[in-house]
Amino acid sequence: MRLFWNRAGAVARKEVFHILRDPFALAAALGLPVLMVIIFGVSIEFNMKDIPLAVNDADQTRSSRMLLDRFASSGYFGVRRVVSPQQGIAELTDQKARAALVIPPDFESELISGRQGQLQLLIDGSDNSTVGPVSNYVNRIVGAGAPALYDLRARYLFNPELDSRWFVIPGLTVVIMAILSILLTALTIAREWENGSMELLLSTPVRPVEIIVGKLAPYGVLGVIAIAFVYVIARAVFQIPFVGNLAVFGLGSLLFLVTYLAQGLLISVVARNQQVAMQLAMVTGMLPSNLISGFIFPIESMPAFFQYLTMLLPARWFMRIARDTFLQGSGLIELKVPFLALTFLCFAMIFLATRKFKRDLEP
Amino acid sequence: MNRTLLGFIRKELIQTLRDKRMRVLLFVVPVIQLTLFGVALSNEVKNIRLASVYSPGDAVMQKIHDRSIASGWFLPVSRQAYGDPFELIRGGTADAVLVAPPGGLTRALGRGDAKLQLLLNATNVIEAQAMESYVSAIVQRTILEDLRLDPPEPSIQVNSRVLFNPSLETAIFMVPATLAMVMIITTMVMTNNAIVREKEMGTFEMLISAPVSPAEVIYGKTIPYVILGMSNFPLILGVAVFVFGVPMRGSVLVLFLAAFAFVCTAVALGTLISTFCKNQQQATLAAFLFLFPMIMFGGLLFPIENMPVSIRWVAYLDPLYHYIGLLRNIMLKGGGHAFVVTHILALGLMALVSVVWSFRRFRTTL
Repeated sequence: MRLFWNRAGAVARKEVFHILRDPFALAAALGLPVLMVIIFGVSIEFNMKDIPLAVNDADQTRSSRMLLDRFASSGYFGVRRVVSPQQGIAELTDQKARAALVIPPDFESELISGRQGQLQLLIDGSDNSTVGPVSNYVNRIVGAGAPALYDLRARYLFNPELDSRWFVIPGLTVVIMAILSILLTALTIAREWENGSMELLLSTPVRPVEIIVGKLAPYGVLGVIAIAFVYVIARAVFQIPFVGNLAVFGLGSLLFLVTYLAQGLLISVVARNQQVAMQLAMVTGMLPSNLISGFIFPIESMPAFFQYLTMLLPARWFMRIARDTFLQGSGLIELKVPFLALTFLCFAMIFLATRKFKRDLEP
Repeated sequence: MNRTLLGFIRKELIQTLRDKRMRVLLFVVPVIQLTLFGVALSNEVKNIRLASVYSPGDAVMQKIHDRSIASGWFLPVSRQAYGDPFELIRGGTADAVLVAPPGGLTRALGRGDAKLQLLLNATNVIEAQAMESYVSAIVQRTILEDLRLDPPEPSIQVNSRVLFNPSLETAIFMVPATLAMVMIITTMVMTNNAIVREKEMGTFEMLISAPVSPAEVIYGKTIPYVILGMSNFPLILGVAVFVFGVPMRGSVLVLFLAAFAFVCTAVALGTLISTFCKNQQQATLAAFLFLFPMIMFGGLLFPIENMPVSIRWVAYLDPLYHYIGLLRNIMLKGGGHAFVVTHILALGLMALVSVVWSFRRFRTTL
């Protein structure tokens, strides 16, 4: 056992030298997550405002102007005048407006005679995510609200102001660290094969599992430091509350990082060629952790088969852990499923990488 | 075209396609990814776990709860699990809890002071808003019906029509964007790696000492990847149109022109990035540095319009933003002339700047 740690330690030491020799990689590993979290923390906002709205006012009366004033002062819409409904549609096609509102010529006279004033609203359906909010805002402004027969009060637990940042930043950390971890290790073993130094390493008495552990450890430390930086930024700069237990979050981070680093190593062992390794890392890291980890698109809305498929994704589990420890204050008991799943995936990845590596050695 | 360049391109294509795994990564994996994300992703919030807390005789609450479940958006939480509403959400048993007023909603409505409370898990901001609008619509409808009131007739009626994707099908909206993301990985990242690999292995010096001009070297390293990217495009496009039924309302020729502009930009950017990298490890991290923001600013995950104006300018530098816009515009809307021309020109300009810059970098670093 002591020999195991000695040999794994030697591999780790060599890897540390390798990292330190290339300051670019070191700076990237520590600086990129912080940089990205700051940029996107500042820029991402889900609550829409100043939605460009093309308005064709064929009525030109006091009523129609009052209505448009309500639109302009609501803050939701930026009103752009057009001279005809056709021009309104052209604005939609050219993406200068998200929606077009047509006020017919008899709008005021209908209102005065006690009938309903008719408005036509055309919404750009090429971006699904804006259709719902746009029609909600319009209805709210026009005043088709609920009658005061009852009072339904919604309480937003864990994020009372519905602050987009509270929602995005913990998730963003998960996505960034997932990709970065895979990329950090994806080339390490492929590089040794390409440079021919792998034959050298194999002629020493180091065993596969020791190589794997030795290669994981330094990057694991690097990843934990990077997450700690991001945590500080999230708390200090963006004032995101952290109501959970820091140790639970830390344990989750470590498991998650090691899983992805091991996945990177597995890719590296399988590929043996840096270009293939790189493509594999991008394919298995970049898009899945962005799209099907529950970061933005809800997992519960996916077809059942894909919900099961996402269970293979470590990012999905850590997404839950990160968000719940930050905002809900969940502990190990509430998070037992994500933790068990993550532990399982972690050992599975290390096991697969070691086995595949061994098999490669015995022709 | 001269023979040196042709030979160069052939060598590069053979070298890339020789590896079976590379062929799979280039031609099979993109199709799988497109299918995967096209089917799986949706903006719609469904399967919300709802608990309704009320006493057994409360007929109106019972009706609200049954209606919610029947609507298809909600799943019922097993009644055995009921307890403190706050703990239900914190423990992850429910996403939303509707609490009846004390004494029951039915009686409170009779008195005229019905106060309902809706607790929502707002960890996910988007979900919370969707849940609230679903519940409030159902509550309103049920209560009005129970009091035998007609829905109030507003003085102004809004007739809404959704253009371009009236049934709001997710695949139609997602697939063009996913197509763009899949393509940038196979073009920009591949080019970058291919050039850096030669540098790392030292074969680049060999090329320079050979009797070929620097321009031939650069074209020879980039044109093959433009060819690969463009040969990939009809394949992925075919899946989008024939499998997912994404409409093709604009001109196919314009669409190919847009794809060509994008592929050239991506390859040129890959080349430019490669001039800054010494080894493939650096190339990998540099790819991340560029690719991640590109996806973020691409307009798929977050609406660009909501970003602060100063940051919106960064999005305009993102080729993915222009390309996703072009794909959606041409395929779904038939292509607005002003829009298509602006964005293709933007892509072309970016390609041009990257090419000129890479030439200068190559000259100085060699």
